[in-house]
Amino acid sequence: MVTPLSNSTKSNEQCDIERKHDGSIDSVAKRKGSLCQQVANSDGERRTRYSGPNLPEDIWCHIHSLMPFKDAARAACVSRAFRRSWQHRPNLIFCIGTLGLDFINKIDRIIKNHSDIGIKSLQLEYDTFCNARRSASISYHLNNWLQIAVTPWIEELILTLSLSSYNVDYNFPCSLLSDGRGSSLRHLYLGSCFFHPTVNLELRNLTRLHLVTVHITGDEFGCLLLNSYALERLELKYCYGIICLKIPCLLQRLSHLEVFECRMLQAIENKAPNLCSFDLGARQVRLLLGESLQMKTLSLDYPSAVYYARAELPSNVPNLEILTICSDHEMVDTPMLPSKFFYLKCLTIDLAWRLSPAYDYFSLISFLDASPSLETFCLEISQDRMENELIIGDMSHMRQMLEHRHDNLQSVEIIGFCYTKSLIELTCHILDNTTSLKHLKLDTTRDVFSCSTGKHDKCFHMGKDMLTEAKKAVLAIETYIEPKVPSTVMLSVVKPCNRCHVAES
Amino acid sequence: MAAAAAEATTDGGGKMIILISADGKRFEVTEAVASQSQLISNMIEDDCTENGVRLPNVDGDILTMVVDYCNMHAGDAAAAGDTMKASSTEEELKKFDAELVQALENPVLFKLILAANFLNIKSLLDMTCQRVADMMSGKTPEQMRETFSIENDFTPEEEAAIRQENAWAFDD
Repeated sequence: MVTPLSNSTKSNEQCDIERKHDGSIDSVAKRKGSLCQQVANSDGERRTRYSGPNLPEDIWCHIHSLMPFKDAARAACVSRAFRRSWQHRPNLIFCIGTLGLDFINKIDRIIKNHSDIGIKSLQLEYDTFCNARRSASISYHLNNWLQIAVTPWIEELILTLSLSSYNVDYNFPCSLLSDGRGSSLRHLYLGSCFFHPTVNLELRNLTRLHLVTVHITGDEFGCLLLNSYALERLELKYCYGIICLKIPCLLQRLSHLEVFECRMLQAIENKAPNLCSFDLGARQVRLLLGESLQMKTLSLDYPSAVYYARAELPSNVPNLEILTICSDHEMVDTPMLPSKFFYLKCLTIDLAWRLSPAYDYFSLISFLDASPSLETFCLEISQDRMENELIIGDMSHMRQMLEHRHDNLQSVEIIGFCYTKSLIELTCHILDNTTSLKHLKLDTTRDVFSCSTGKHDKCFHMGKDMLTEAKKAVLAIETYIEPKVPSTVMLSVVKPCNRCHVAES
Repeated sequence: MAAAAAEATTDGGGKMIILISADGKRFEVTEAVASQSQLISNMIEDDCTENGVRLPNVDGDILTMVVDYCNMHAGDAAAAGDTMKASSTEEELKKFDAELVQALENPVLFKLILAANFLNIKSLLDMTCQRVADMMSGKTPEQMRETFSIENDFTPEEEAAIRQENAWAFDD
């Protein structure tokens, strides 16, 4: 007998689940027909319709939770069991793109429907640039939703306002997380809002913190860090209010730090003892890394980073294994110094744009000389050949540096190889002093994209001047480098494409 | 016999245990391989695997897949100290996992999920459930019901109500 339930309420549903936990399946539960019971009934009258095994409801629930939000909402219309699992879904993700224009009422309803189950994860994405009409009232609604959703059970909170505008005025209500209310929070991501944490904001289980375009002062941020002692990953992007970033030694578990384009930042001081990976993209910034003994991976992207890395890192970060340096303004050559990177295995140097025209690539030998364990070296050069007249130099007097052996170096790649004396000297030096070398790749085309990968129909466009430069580089390789390559080294030269580039010229 | 085999050790030093499927097929695996199942790991701790472990609700063909999976994945746990080996097999593992679930018919996939759930092998359960979730995604409720033989137990009124509530999920 089926009694139609025209308007099933939450209390009905929960009552039903409780009965099932008791183990007694009464007529109400049978009528509800959970998938569990279908398995139990599979030998009975339903055999003709259901062949093969079905899954218990808790597994369907798990599957349901793995589906993207919109698909999961559609799946809620499949059966009562799915509707139940939708109503108990602990992860809520909303973005204006999927919820349409009258999203406020819908979010209201969904959040309220989920409010009594202890929402574990809430993601709200709101683009004020697209929805300027609503932005005046959005603070009111955001506060309401957070008020309902943020309970002591919440583990993940992701709030992203407009990515396209810095002029938003949403002030994150810190009181929601203060006085122990954020104690189960593990991941906090805030984008484009004001965030003014105070001392009573204790986030003792927070392991991941991301702040992107967030208005927060250095003092407030310092206060937040002191109360987030379980932190493992910290990412700060476009937070212009921070002038000095101090990572306290209290953060014993912090292993990954990423700081990108915090424009006002002048200094970063790390005292977290177990930081092992640090990624920095900045303008002029003073790095006080102390003795970061656990740091194995470091990526630096700022002007004069190459010089800084060679001069300062061996003493501050002695156990480095992977180093990536990106610099768009390197005016001084790399000095030869006695300090060493004893454990460095992989080095990437990316020199871009406003390089001094007289920059001496040969001086990079300093890094090879300092790194006895180095296995992989990649140099990327992307300076604008139109602006900088390259110094070809007199090839009759090639510099050599004897007594500098690189006995572990196996793979060398130079991308954007150009016809420059100091670069040719560097390459010849590597060939002359590296018996372990196996692969040498010289790319004269700047490694953008090519038709040879099969992913693109056509290679990227090379202008006439670029093509001329590349042809000169190929000629230089054939003249000066190829004769030096021993049979044990596999040389690959990437030249302008015969099909695309030669046709263009 | 089983007890004798159970006492045997491999060159790697791992003790061997015997798994016996519902239809009586026997699989000899190392403790390290079998321990990926939390159920068996607990049994090993309690010292009750001496005479082989009977798995009355896992068929031989399903257990073959489970053992293959565990053999493949025990490698990365054992080679954790050997970074070269671990990194070289990561790609292979992904490929192996994808191929394992890709080709399965729904009834077999469900049996594999049930086995992973019973044996409590979290990574296998997650992977197989993800496969079902991926197969559901992009489908209408009707297609979901049809693909996985799920009964529509809503009354027409209930179905209309939930569809209206979640109408936003139906526009493209």
